[in-house]
Amino acid sequence: MAEDLVLDTAIRDWVLIPLSVVMVLIGVLRFFVSKLMKGSSQLPDPKIVKEGQVIIRARNLRAGANYIPAKSFRARKAYYSNEENGLLHVPKGEAQNPQAQMFSDPNMAMDMMKKNLSMIIPQTLTFAWVNFFFSGFVAAKIPFPLTQRFRAMLQNGIDLSTVDVSYVSSRSWYFLNLFGLRGLFSLILGEENATDDTQRMMQMSGFGMDPSKTLGAEKDGLDIIQHDWALPKFEQRAEAVLRKLVK
Amino acid sequence: MVTRREEEEVNRLENQVENGGGGVWEYLCLVHKLKLRRSDMVLKHGLSILNDKKKRSALGPEEWTLYEQVAVAAMDCQSNDAAKDCIKVLQRKFPGSKRVGRLEAMLLEARGLWSEAENAYSSLLEENPFDQVVHKRRVAMAKAQGNTSAAIDWLNKYLDLFMADHEAWRELAEIYVSLQMYKQAVFCYEELILSQPTVPLHHLAYADVLYTLGGLENLQTAKKYYASTIDSGGKSTRALFGICLCTSAIGQLTKGRNKEDKDSLELQSLSAMALEKDYKQRAPSKVSVLSSTLRSLKI
Repeated sequence: MAEDLVLDTAIRDWVLIPLSVVMVLIGVLRFFVSKLMKGSSQLPDPKIVKEGQVIIRARNLRAGANYIPAKSFRARKAYYSNEENGLLHVPKGEAQNPQAQMFSDPNMAMDMMKKNLSMIIPQTLTFAWVNFFFSGFVAAKIPFPLTQRFRAMLQNGIDLSTVDVSYVSSRSWYFLNLFGLRGLFSLILGEENATDDTQRMMQMSGFGMDPSKTLGAEKDGLDIIQHDWALPKFEQRAEAVLRKLVK
Repeated sequence: MVTRREEEEVNRLENQVENGGGGVWEYLCLVHKLKLRRSDMVLKHGLSILNDKKKRSALGPEEWTLYEQVAVAAMDCQSNDAAKDCIKVLQRKFPGSKRVGRLEAMLLEARGLWSEAENAYSSLLEENPFDQVVHKRRVAMAKAQGNTSAAIDWLNKYLDLFMADHEAWRELAEIYVSLQMYKQAVFCYEELILSQPTVPLHHLAYADVLYTLGGLENLQTAKKYYASTIDSGGKSTRALFGICLCTSAIGQLTKGRNKEDKDSLELQSLSAMALEKDYKQRAPSKVSVLSSTLRSLKI
């Protein structure tokens, strides 16, 4: 185990603090740039809006099926899930995958590109900048000991197994800032700031969600449901209520 | 839905505000949040804030929502000049805003300039076909002109897209009832029951329409829904009368042939008793009328 490293105060003044300040400033800048690039907010596709509403209504039908008479339920079920033109029926050819949808709608692709550009370009630039100027610095020391597992997280860019894990390399400091400043941004830029990287990454991975699949699932759910009218029971229950009232 | 506690809170604040006890802003916020329609109060007290420069600037950015709220309230009270002033201020602050455009169209509507308002709404919808408020304003406008068939058309168009909006279904149901198109109304009320299965009011309205339609099957169904109203909503005089009427109508239709009726006669006598008890408690002078009515139903 190496003995305690003494960190130069110049490292604090010229690496640690500038890095954090630059990260914050870049975050703010990106917020405004993405605001500029976003332009007019786009209207959602009427088909998607309608599909969402159909799904809500079909769910209501599934949940409340026992509260309407059997005849009405059957009529609705047919309306939703018949094979020709039911609301929940998705014709096979039309079930387009999101990628095809993206190509058919240049606006959407453009939008995605803008979003990606505003995310990736500054990130690559700052990463290159940090790598170029500050590579190999031990920038800070956290005031508590940690196990070896944290080495990959805290000492990215230093390949020395003898340095104590509580020292933080400059590149790791950059990553910590990148993901850790979210709270600060939401404080200074308002709740819905555009710099929310982690969330955007989630969005990208969840992009492949297919609305026609939910429609199909809803249809299957409707198909298996059994109608058991709840109302006849209510007559007895009402009698009990009234009996209590009259007494 | 406004809960009882929230309503009490609003009434308490309203009392306080009326007697000059302060808390005007809280009252206005609450009214806005609960979407209550107390336009006269909002207009009176909202204007008092807006005309006071110091109070107004203390609101910060909330000032503009207050302008909007007061403008709508003013239109509701037919004081179009006040509404015009508010909208002018908003126009100066947010030129080209669609939300202000909506207010302008509403002002046209309030002044009774139907065709101009119609044009304004259509152009708003062209820009954003998903503006539910504008869709609903169009329906309201058709209704205000007495043009119910147009209102039905607009509502159907709206529901074709926003089919999960139960309030629109309710409006459509009520319009159908007013036009005596009961079969259509039945469908709308079923839709309402589906979206809110526990609200007894929908069950009651559904039963009413079914009873009006008549026929043995509908009457039996109506009775069941009256029963469910009583079960989930406590005693409801309307539902109690409904059960009595349904049972006697079913009795006339089947002439005692149906075995099922024998069981349900108890429900009827119980509701008659509940009614009598209720009348004795709350309206003793009407008891004789009630008992003669019940007798005419052969109970």
